[in-house]
Amino acid sequence: MNASVASRTLRTLAAWVVVGLFFFPIYYWTSVAFKYGNDIFSRPPNLFHFTPTFDNFQKVFGISLGSGGVTVTPGGGNFFMAPRLWDSIVVATLSTLVAIVIATLAAYALSRMNFRGRHQFVNWVLSTRMMPPVAVAVPMFFIYKGFGLLDTFTGMVLIHALMNLPLAVLLMKSFFDDIPAEIDESAIVDGASRFTIFRRIVLPMAKGGIAATAVLCFIFSWTEFLFALTLTTTGLKTVPVVSSTFVTSIGTAWGNMAALGAASIIPAFIFILLVQKHLVRGLTMGSLKQ
Amino acid sequence: MKDSMRKAYLASVTDRFVKGQMDRRSFLRAAGKLGLGAGALGMGLGARPFWTMSQAQAQDQELKPNADVMKWLADVGKPFAGTTLKLATESTPPSNAIATQLKQYFEEASGIKIEIEVLPLEQVLQKLTLDVASSLGTYDLYYIDQSWAANFSQDVFDPREQLKNADLAMPNYNIDDFLKPLVDGIAMYKDTMVGVPYDIPIFIMQYRKDIWDELKLPAPTTMEDLLNASKAITDAKGPNVYGTSGQMKSGHYSLECDWTAWLWGHGGSIFDKDGKFCGNDERGLEAMAYWDKLKATMPPGVNGWTWDGEGQSVAQGVAASMLSWGEFFPFFDDPKASKVSGLMEAIVPPKPTTTLRTVQETAFGEIPGVGHQGGSSLAVSKYSKAPDAAWIFMQWATSADTQALITVLGGGTGPTRKSVYDDPRVKANARVGAGTTRHLPVVRETIANYMGSEPDLPAWAEISSDTIPVALGKYFAGQLGSAKETMDALKSQVDEIVAKG
Repeated sequence: MNASVASRTLRTLAAWVVVGLFFFPIYYWTSVAFKYGNDIFSRPPNLFHFTPTFDNFQKVFGISLGSGGVTVTPGGGNFFMAPRLWDSIVVATLSTLVAIVIATLAAYALSRMNFRGRHQFVNWVLSTRMMPPVAVAVPMFFIYKGFGLLDTFTGMVLIHALMNLPLAVLLMKSFFDDIPAEIDESAIVDGASRFTIFRRIVLPMAKGGIAATAVLCFIFSWTEFLFALTLTTTGLKTVPVVSSTFVTSIGTAWGNMAALGAASIIPAFIFILLVQKHLVRGLTMGSLKQ
Repeated sequence: MKDSMRKAYLASVTDRFVKGQMDRRSFLRAAGKLGLGAGALGMGLGARPFWTMSQAQAQDQELKPNADVMKWLADVGKPFAGTTLKLATESTPPSNAIATQLKQYFEEASGIKIEIEVLPLEQVLQKLTLDVASSLGTYDLYYIDQSWAANFSQDVFDPREQLKNADLAMPNYNIDDFLKPLVDGIAMYKDTMVGVPYDIPIFIMQYRKDIWDELKLPAPTTMEDLLNASKAITDAKGPNVYGTSGQMKSGHYSLECDWTAWLWGHGGSIFDKDGKFCGNDERGLEAMAYWDKLKATMPPGVNGWTWDGEGQSVAQGVAASMLSWGEFFPFFDDPKASKVSGLMEAIVPPKPTTTLRTVQETAFGEIPGVGHQGGSSLAVSKYSKAPDAAWIFMQWATSADTQALITVLGGGTGPTRKSVYDDPRVKANARVGAGTTRHLPVVRETIANYMGSEPDLPAWAEISSDTIPVALGKYFAGQLGSAKETMDALKSQVDEIVAKG
């Protein structure tokens, strides 16, 4: 009995340590967002006892939070980042949607249909992930300029969807592979068409997998830097790109950068909360083979 | 009370007053104790740090553009109303002051819209290179760092030619008002003027007057004084406070900037008159020996710092001095961001140990001088689809009136025009506190008498941002043997790159 209690306590403690390891960087970064410059660089680092301030959020978002009006910092990077947060939300959400729609259809076909070169097709899809993005960025710039897609939502959504498609297709294929083909066959015997089987039977069973894939696509788009930098100018900018503007000629505005970083966690967190119900199942799908 | 303590106390009191944390009566009482009386009240009200001010408040102050300039913009801008211009620029105080505060005046008066993309320096270079390579004209104006002047000299309009168009010329623009050393050091490549000087970060000596006074050390006016004082401070106060600091991150451009200051300060140069690398000669090796000794008085993390870490080390009181960018000085005076507000003193860079090499003894327009400059110019792109509208913006952005506003609103950055240093609005900000301009007389003197400029050649961006800082980084990491071996290896590399063109 005692051994069991000790074991459980140890497990709980280990779990809290792991949680702490993951949570600490988020806490630290968020606390920097509420600090004055002096507190950010205090030695030894001041983790808990500091005078909190909304200054950084006011500067970054150009809003007043009741501590002295809208303020600006010369040399402190670009300002009024709220529109940029919106840009990121639109690009990440739409590109995830596009990637999921295409990837689900493609993955189902690859999982269920026999056609010549099916296995090579899977390898070919994977190979596009092997090319470093930086090798594609400059040619993409010229292609986008030619098609008038530079600095547009359409362009950014397309490139992020393209970037995420290979991974999404492979993930979704493994999820569809996990659903027994006998279910499809039974439905065919009952007279269902291929599309009906996909929409009414297989898709609902793969909800967890879709959620997990969507979360990964969203996060990759949310944090993507290179394409967002190369293919935009002033029309739209995503959070990772504007974060770099806090690196100024007179140093890095860490407080401002942390404020934007802390605020940018929220939309991603909300998205994950929305799909959380399906996420655990999705993450464990594919782990067991029949 | 010591002068430095008095200044720090005043900065703190003023800061609390302008933030509304102290009522006027308490402020006057505190100021009275310092013997400042009503004068202090004026300082607190009329010249407070801009970044404690709201935008609406800022517009109510006297800091408004000149009415004649606005009228000219309204007249000359009419045919171009509705045009949108794009500029990619580093996040510098002038660019941020224009982007966040001043461009609205330009847009309202002229009807021309300006979109400013603010990026870190290396990303600006990437954007401009793509624009030039494709001749696309995505950007109408180029922000050109002095080390890129040669690369972009064929891709921009010479402002002297643009000025000949009387219909678009701003009255009293006076191109001769730009400080001549800056025009030569930043904007000129051979006979082409690659834009006009736009900003001027330059090395000045910044040190903790309180520590120097406490240890009774002579001001660091010579290389020897600086080294001796740094040693004395490190011995007396280390490891809490070190004598000096540096920007010595391996592979980063900042390391090359530090190297040139010590190299030039020991009578050396990067190139000899035949265009060959000569950092490995006797003077170059003396500079390396000096730098090694000075590095021993710097905080341990200095190998990983660019100017960011260097500035923070001084601001947080870890290092007592730095020979570095003057743009940091207003930041040091900000009591919210720095622990040394009111304690810093600015002087011109330490005197060289021997006679500086002349321009004729070097090549590619290299100008030896301990005050390393890192200025930039602003130019109209030849690929712009609206070059005339861009030229109007460029004249406004670099006019004396706009520069004065930038200097005050932009947090004490150094102007590139002579007249702006004498502008009453700029002089009024010469007090302890955020955004101070009290260091600007030193900046002006350094530009006039102590400025050093890197060479201009197409391969310089690669040499200065990669070849030299990588080799120096390896040297300080102990991977390249002695200083002589390092410099000899560097000579082979640089000469080969230059020979390739």
